[in-house]
Amino acid sequence: MAKYLLKRLAQILVTLFVFLTLVFFIVNAQPGDVSNFYALNPDVPPETRERLQDLFGVNEPLWKQYLVHIKNTFTGNFGISFSHYPRSVADVIMERLPRTVVLFMTATALSFYLGFALGKILAWRRGGWFEYTSTVGGVTLYTVFTPWFGLMMIWLFAFKAGWLPIGKFLDPVLWRDASIDANSVFNQMILTAFVVSVVVFAVFVITGQRRMGNARIIRIASIALASLAVAGVWISSGTVVFAWDILRHMVLPVVTLTLISFAGTMLLTRNSMLETMREDFVMAARAKGLPERAVRDKHVARNALLPVVTSFIFSLAFAVDGGVITESIFSWPGMGQTLVSATLTEDLPLAVGAFVFVGIFVLVAHLVADVLYAYLDPRIRY
Amino acid sequence: MTTDPVLVVEDLKMHYVTRAGTVRAVDGVSFAVARGQSLGLVGESGCGKSSIAMTLLKLLPDNARLVSGSIILNGVDLTTLSEDQMRAHRWDRISMVFQAAMNSLDPVYRVGDQIIEALEAHSASAGRDAMERVRELFDLVSLDPTYIRRYPHEYSGGMRQRAIIAMALACEPDIIIADEPTTALDVIVQDHILREMQAIQRSLNMSMIYISHDMAVIAEVCDVVGVMYAGKLVEFGPTTEVYARPIHPYTKALMSAFPSVRGEKHDLTTLPGEPPDLLDLPAGCAFHPRCAYATDECRTSIPPTVQRGDHWATCWNPVDDLGGE
Ligand SMILES: Nc1ncnc2c1ncn2[C@@H]1O[C@H](COP(=O)(O)OP(=O)(O)OP(=O)(O)O)[C@@H](O)[C@H]1O
Ligand code: SF4
Ligand SMILES: [Mg+2]
Repeated sequence: MAKYLLKRLAQILVTLFVFLTLVFFIVNAQPGDVSNFYALNPDVPPETRERLQDLFGVNEPLWKQYLVHIKNTFTGNFGISFSHYPRSVADVIMERLPRTVVLFMTATALSFYLGFALGKILAWRRGGWFEYTSTVGGVTLYTVFTPWFGLMMIWLFAFKAGWLPIGKFLDPVLWRDASIDANSVFNQMILTAFVVSVVVFAVFVITGQRRMGNARIIRIASIALASLAVAGVWISSGTVVFAWDILRHMVLPVVTLTLISFAGTMLLTRNSMLETMREDFVMAARAKGLPERAVRDKHVARNALLPVVTSFIFSLAFAVDGGVITESIFSWPGMGQTLVSATLTEDLPLAVGAFVFVGIFVLVAHLVADVLYAYLDPRIRY
Repeated sequence: MTTDPVLVVEDLKMHYVTRAGTVRAVDGVSFAVARGQSLGLVGESGCGKSSIAMTLLKLLPDNARLVSGSIILNGVDLTTLSEDQMRAHRWDRISMVFQAAMNSLDPVYRVGDQIIEALEAHSASAGRDAMERVRELFDLVSLDPTYIRRYPHEYSGGMRQRAIIAMALACEPDIIIADEPTTALDVIVQDHILREMQAIQRSLNMSMIYISHDMAVIAEVCDVVGVMYAGKLVEFGPTTEVYARPIHPYTKALMSAFPSVRGEKHDLTTLPGEPPDLLDLPAGCAFHPRCAYATDECRTSIPPTVQRGDHWATCWNPVDDLGGE
């Protein structure tokens, strides 16, 4: 296990370096340099122009600039954003990154769960209307043009039905007189979600290992208790209306992202299940007189999960472009939108910073998924 | 040996429906196994041995049809049970060591937990008692108890086999079916495990069905032997009788392919001629295209049963010559 993880860590560090190098050279391959944004302005006097060029270091040799770029990445110093002047790039990213991470993780987890649950059922009862509707529906959503689908969702649920806000991260009218800013509310929400998931995960692991007969009851009770505690804390803090507002804004982008991506997991799970069902240990599980449900969930699905997780790890990188498009459609002020607007406004420091952070985020997600895989497969764990 | 039968199989027919036609994999098989008795089923590859085993457990693929017959285990006819009722009998009363025993353990769970799972499914024992039972079982099959908490991939082939045998014994079933339990192992381990299984079976006074294409294995461990050909039992009787005075030419051919029981082991595939095509069986006696004793009636009419005490065979021209025409 330790060896496997060290190997993965080393691979990821190498990938990170390759990625940073690529970002640097792609940026440098663009015509002009960072200083052009200001220096080409005819109103800027020549000596100011030179001072700017010195400041940006564009007259230094390329290798020196490269070293500075690497060093800056590791110290988190990406300079000042042009379009958000005078805020630093790091500051802008620290505000935006959590929004993307939360949106992306929620949608990914939901779509994986939905895809896996449906795929499991599909493999078990083949034929019939259920297989037909979920396959056709899933594949249609999977292949549909994302921007169109996003707009349709907004039109239907926000514009026509008016159930949900049309876009953005929060409702400015509600927040105008707020004594607390959106980021701290959002960070508290993240903290809450994190604590709850850690507690629930711990309960699941403990009840799973101790072979407790009433594991199911303990699990349900712990989830109920955690939800109650969370509700209590939030309601008494008085910021619950603001948290609710942010949550409402999250619904449409999360649902859209989930709907366009679950079918991949679903079809993969189905195939993986069908293959696992032919294994001898499945026949053995049946011969042991286990109920069908136990055979399906404990043996077939548990083993079928492994290749699904592997392919899921590979698909993580591709999820980023879907994220960029979705954020733009829903005006969700996260990393994807930051990336697009930084590029369009030629805010090079922010663009570089955003690229680097999205890259690091994908790599970290990769590492987490690898650890998860090792946890799931004892042949790797031991 | 008592004569109290644990399992009585009567006129069992199980066919597979395929696009090419009906495969008569089990075609009217009848036999009984007494308590503490071990029955050997021997025959070439594809003659329907595993199909009988899976029919007894009613673990059949979708294209299988249980056409007729009864399987009476301890007085209960399994063929009339619903799937839920059958589930309660599986493993608890009738368990199995699979042909592909090496892959019969789920790779993602500890071996001990997989045995406990079977115990709990039949409420045989749970919690601490179940763990105690697993320890007992590991001891019985001479496995190191520290391996209870290990995963299948940490086991050697022989150890996995022992673990599977331990699992099959878990609920103290009335009968265990062992489908070629040792073919994937090397000869020395094979011999060891076979002997141990026999010792356990005797000491627990349990019934057993050994399935093999290896005559030597059957001769070594079985009280009674049934010779199968093309989905049918063609000869049946006490092992010593069958080996000393075979009635059916097929059995005799098998015997001559094995000069000594303890000698080199041969596969039945060394027998001359093609094994029969179960989709298109020859008329009369299915063995006639390969039989040196075949006469005209063999090619047209089903052969009669020749009885010699509790030893019988189905043949027109029995080779032991006692009843000769
Ligand atoms: N699901 C199935 N559908 C159609 N035919 C099948 C199916 N399973 C087995 N058969 C056929 O039924 C016949 C009997 O198969 P079975 O596995 O019982 O033979 P066996 O005696 O166990 O052979 P072996 O010694 O190779 O294990 C074979 O001809 C096989 O091809
Ligand atoms: S019935 Fe005829 S063909 Fe069949 S085994 Fe006997 S002698 Fe041979
Ligand atoms: Mg077989």
